[in-house]
Amino acid sequence: MADRRTQTNSGPGRVLVAVYGVFALAATARAGVQLATRFAEAPVAYLLSAVAGVVYILATVTLARGTRGSRRLARVAILVELAGVLAIGTWSLFDPEAFPRATVWSGYGSGYGYVPLVLPVLGLLWLSRSRPTDDTGPRTA
Amino acid sequence: MVDGLAYAVMALALVATGWGVLTASLNKAPGQAQIIFAAVVELVTLAQSVVAGVRIALGARPDQLATTIGYLVAIVVLLPVAAVWALSDRSRFSGVVLAVAAFSVLAMTLRLQTLWSGGS
Repeated sequence: MADRRTQTNSGPGRVLVAVYGVFALAATARAGVQLATRFAEAPVAYLLSAVAGVVYILATVTLARGTRGSRRLARVAILVELAGVLAIGTWSLFDPEAFPRATVWSGYGSGYGYVPLVLPVLGLLWLSRSRPTDDTGPRTA
Repeated sequence: MVDGLAYAVMALALVATGWGVLTASLNKAPGQAQIIFAAVVELVTLAQSVVAGVRIALGARPDQLATTIGYLVAIVVLLPVAAVWALSDRSRFSGVVLAVAAFSVLAMTLRLQTLWSGGS
């Protein structure tokens, strides 16, 4: 059992998990509605919307679990999230037609107070700050 | 939508948000009154979703029906889940967790208002 203070799911990490949870819900629900009702209109945008939802769910669950293995998965999810918000954000600026408010990442998340842009940065900072102190010891996933 | 209820939800959610931030900044865990208040916010939010759902069943058609129904369902999930998460590890951060959920309820109600009035 690792020291509680070193886990991603304690202290400020609980707030981070809560915010990730809200976005998991928002992105997944939004993608679900889009795929169910208007998939043919913009399949690429709506599939990316679904990817965003999955990434947020993965980040929420892995940060909430806070084990070593899930920390690694969390890092991957958050890096994908960061790449996603930067790529989709930029793409939506150059080709607004393709993303009519279609994903949580459109306009760098401007429809959500730019939280989607800040969240992965906070996530990565938190992962490095909450790193277990016995990190040099033998790794057990 | 249901203006009176929506304004009530937004006002209560705003207070719950501020309360969570306040206890966190005072380095206190949420107290019992705060939890009960969150439950009240949840009850009024639930009433809003039920009334809006009944109106839809009776033929009201907001601009984006599927999205609206998604919001009406998702909005009632937030506070209970956040409360469980906040109280399973009580600290000053529990208040911020409640504040995040309450603010989301506020934002979603605003969005619901827009969705609802956009159609008529």
